[in-house]
Amino acid sequence: MTSLFIFAPFFLLVIINFPLGFLKGRCAFCLAASLLLAQVLLAAFHPWLFWSAYPDCLRQFFGFPLAVDNLALIMLFVIGIVALVSLLTAQDTLAGEKQKFNFINLLLVALIGMNATVLVTDIFSLYVFIEVTAMASFILIALEKGKFAIEGAFKYLMLSAIASVFMLTSVAFLLLTAGDISFAAVHHVLTNVPGSFFLKLAVGLFLCGLLIKSGVVPFHGWLPDAYSAAPSCVSVLLAGTVTKISGVYILLRLFSSVFTLTPALQNVLLFAGAISIVFAALAALTQDDFKRMLAYSSISQVGYIILALGCGTPLAFVGAVFHFFNHAIFKTLLFVNAASLEKRFGTTDINQLEGLGEKCPVTSVTSLVAMLSTAGIPPLSGFWSKLIIVMALFSKGRFIYAGTALIASIITLAYFLSLERRIFFNKGKPAPAAGGTATQISRGLNPAKNFSGIACAEILLAVFTIAGGLGYAFMLNTWFLPLKAIWH
Amino acid sequence: MMETLMISLILIPLIAAAITFVLPVKWRGVCAFLAALVNFLIAVLLFRKETTIIFPWIGWGIDFALRLYHFSGFIILAVSFFSLLISLYSLEFLKNKSSARQFYGFFLLALSFVNGAVLANHLVTLLFFWEGLLLTIYGLIAIGGKQAFKTATKSFIIVGASDLCMMAGIILTGYIAKTLIIQDIHLGLDRLGSLAFILLIIGAIAKAGSMPFHTWIPDAAQDSPLPFMAFFPAALEKLLGIYFLTRITLDMFKLDSHNSLSVVLMAVGAITILLAVMMALVQKDYKRLLSYHAISQVGYMILGIGTCLPAGIIGGIFHMLNNAVYKCGLFLTAGTVEKQAGTTDLDQLGGLRSTMPVTFFCFLVTAASISGVPPFNGFFSKELIYDAALERGKIFYLAALIGSFFTAASFLKLGHAAFCDKPRREDKGIKEAPLSMLIPMIILALTCVFFGVFNRIPINDFIQPILGRASENHNFAGWPSSLPLVLITIAVLAAALIHHYAAAKIKGSGLKAADHIHHAPVLSAIYRWAEKKYFDPYELGVKLVNWIAGLLSGIDKSIDWFYDFFTVKAACGCSMIIRKAHAGYYIIYVVWALTGALLVTLFAIK
Repeated sequence: MTSLFIFAPFFLLVIINFPLGFLKGRCAFCLAASLLLAQVLLAAFHPWLFWSAYPDCLRQFFGFPLAVDNLALIMLFVIGIVALVSLLTAQDTLAGEKQKFNFINLLLVALIGMNATVLVTDIFSLYVFIEVTAMASFILIALEKGKFAIEGAFKYLMLSAIASVFMLTSVAFLLLTAGDISFAAVHHVLTNVPGSFFLKLAVGLFLCGLLIKSGVVPFHGWLPDAYSAAPSCVSVLLAGTVTKISGVYILLRLFSSVFTLTPALQNVLLFAGAISIVFAALAALTQDDFKRMLAYSSISQVGYIILALGCGTPLAFVGAVFHFFNHAIFKTLLFVNAASLEKRFGTTDINQLEGLGEKCPVTSVTSLVAMLSTAGIPPLSGFWSKLIIVMALFSKGRFIYAGTALIASIITLAYFLSLERRIFFNKGKPAPAAGGTATQISRGLNPAKNFSGIACAEILLAVFTIAGGLGYAFMLNTWFLPLKAIWH
Repeated sequence: MMETLMISLILIPLIAAAITFVLPVKWRGVCAFLAALVNFLIAVLLFRKETTIIFPWIGWGIDFALRLYHFSGFIILAVSFFSLLISLYSLEFLKNKSSARQFYGFFLLALSFVNGAVLANHLVTLLFFWEGLLLTIYGLIAIGGKQAFKTATKSFIIVGASDLCMMAGIILTGYIAKTLIIQDIHLGLDRLGSLAFILLIIGAIAKAGSMPFHTWIPDAAQDSPLPFMAFFPAALEKLLGIYFLTRITLDMFKLDSHNSLSVVLMAVGAITILLAVMMALVQKDYKRLLSYHAISQVGYMILGIGTCLPAGIIGGIFHMLNNAVYKCGLFLTAGTVEKQAGTTDLDQLGGLRSTMPVTFFCFLVTAASISGVPPFNGFFSKELIYDAALERGKIFYLAALIGSFFTAASFLKLGHAAFCDKPRREDKGIKEAPLSMLIPMIILALTCVFFGVFNRIPINDFIQPILGRASENHNFAGWPSSLPLVLITIAVLAAALIHHYAAAKIKGSGLKAADHIHHAPVLSAIYRWAEKKYFDPYELGVKLVNWIAGLLSGIDKSIDWFYDFFTVKAACGCSMIIRKAHAGYYIIYVVWALTGALLVTLFAIK
């Protein structure tokens, strides 16, 4: 019943758009939330009966086959979790019923695109669903129609267009030379005809497109603008899944089981990964905007995944997927924290946020957990995935890259801890005297607002981060180590 | 019965020490005196008895083993004799002094440890008590006052370092001999054996206070309570160190006169005699002058034992005994002078002959004894050592003789300055010391005479049995056999006397009688450096450590600067550059992306 992951959001999209008033508000939210919850549960517990139900009658509506494996399950899980969190955040932060409803519609479109991207087995369908996801996300970024939001969306659109051109050209080359574009056929051709110029060109172009989509340095120009200009709930979705699925995941999928990872490509990936890690971490050091800093941090963390992929061993691949998973969890959590601060105090400027540790304890504690996990402090989950990546690099003899990965962790810790200190640990300035210009922060919280959804999401993700760190052995054995079988 | 008595030699002072720490302050001295008295009686009872005792202690072949035989019994008797006299002396001397609170406790603790170390028949048992003494030395010096703390640390480090050498020697000895029972160890001096021998010797002569492990003694003379000086560096440490040295050279290793290590030992002895006596000559403080003699006299003992001849060994051990007697007596006179006159600075003393006649008499006897004037005891032991030294080499004899000359000269100066010169200070009311301080001094002075005149008793009854059969056919007691040597000695002493009177006449005062040596062209520079402690291994070590610490601190600071300042600035600088590069124009981003894509594609195709 794999195809339900594509059909169910589609049907839901149709249902909530019936011209019936009661479906528009609370009901739409509940339906979408329960759908996402179902996806999370199905992916997490993957009941044998559901997955093996045969014949999958709905599949016959498609002209292309779908397949599910361990990697796809993990991705479905991540998509479900992040989309759910994004939905919860949107309920608390977006203004107006109409915008919330629009958000749900676009979220469902993006969900269709992402789920399909994970499940398809040929390169052209892959391209199509990347575009579906991208279309939804352009509109999502510009949802609030602000000046900066539209600018961010435009930059994303321009660079995505270039990426699309690259990928489409690559697909054309592959179709021409291989004659078939299913993963298996392309893999077969690539292994049997290793020297072909067009095939190499096709792989190179596709790689360029994916690197743009993932936001790896120097293809990252759009990413900080898009992340920081988008509404907070959209940033959550973008950082956690959209760009990761339509860029990083496809890199993982293609280079693990479709394209061959030649030494030249390995060097390209390693170099791009290392540059991303260091460059973005340095850039994050002096950012004044919380969300922008998170965006650079996101680039830096993607660098780790690319670095591990470039290492080219099964263990490194496991580390890459593990880090993908962890990053989705803790970066989503950080963006939710940012959303919480933005909604309460009306800004994400670090210089204006001060001494908030006592005013919002949940945000303070959960953000600390997420930041420590990002920097790779044991025993949080981020530590274990980084450890596996560094171990893999060491065992392959890539000492300089391993050292770079380790040292960049220190920079990560540096910018996050200084952020923590400034926003949460500081005592904060005394309230301005009468007549002074009172900022929103000194006025304090807006008691009329209810932030239970955000708090819920924060706690859920923090628990995931801690539990994933403490129970890393269980996670690794049941979810990630079987991935070694996928590697070539 | 005998075993119980032997154990009680260790236990009674130990328990008494524990008691003194809780008693009211004014009863502590009495308690210590009683314990020392009991200890002395037991030592008398046990004299010339033989017994051994062994019972399991730590495991792994480490047992608690004690052995009483003629040598250890003799040393125990001497130790208990001195401790009795000093506890009696301290009763008056330490009255109303703050150091009295802890002195008696440490004193008894030290007595217990010394008894244990002398009786020990197992190297680890020995080490246990030996290291315990380190603790009491530290404690006894540190109670001397605020300044004493530094000196205590110095002595702790010097003695501790030499004890570490000894510990290594003990481990090595046990490894070679396959046993740690001292009685069963008889080793040759092969390569490894020599190393173990040297390490053990370092421990022994450092305890005795030989050069180059001596530098804490003059400092301690000024800072620590005086009974400590009379008890430890003057008596106990000599007894213990030379006792152990003798056992190493005679029992544990067979050192004979053909071995080059014997020459090394003699050289250490000769150098110690000369350098220490030269330092003693120019001192201007009663106690400090005595402390250098305490070092110098060790040289004679090491020289004597180092000769490996029966005459030398007997002379060395006899000198050890004599030195303990007269040096203890000398320090007690110093204490009396300090107590009654309020100072030991020779510049301020003078004319005490008339006010303190008994003290002067005791000083006269003991000083004559240390200078080797016949018929006092020092003369006889020195003659034996001269005899043996001459047989091994003229140079050693010469060194000993020069040492003797300067010893005599420095005591003439001391006696002249402190007792005979006109009073340099208008200080009325200096009286003779109370009886309880005079009795120990008188006993010691009489002992000097007794051991000199009736030297047959200590030599034949106490010392000769230690050598066993090697010396059965000789007679070392009585008047020295070689008349020329006696004449030379007397000539040297006469020369010292003439030199002193001539110099004192010219300079006008006894105190300045040695100034022309002090200010001689080359010597004055050496003396100045010595006063600045340039020759003190400990001070040099402290300087080196300070220098290294400074260097490390500099390195540390630069590392700090690198991390705290340089990296932060560099990272922020890079960050700002990167931030400037992201100007927000999408066309720039597109150019970056396209350039990157070009490079990636080129790489992929290659």
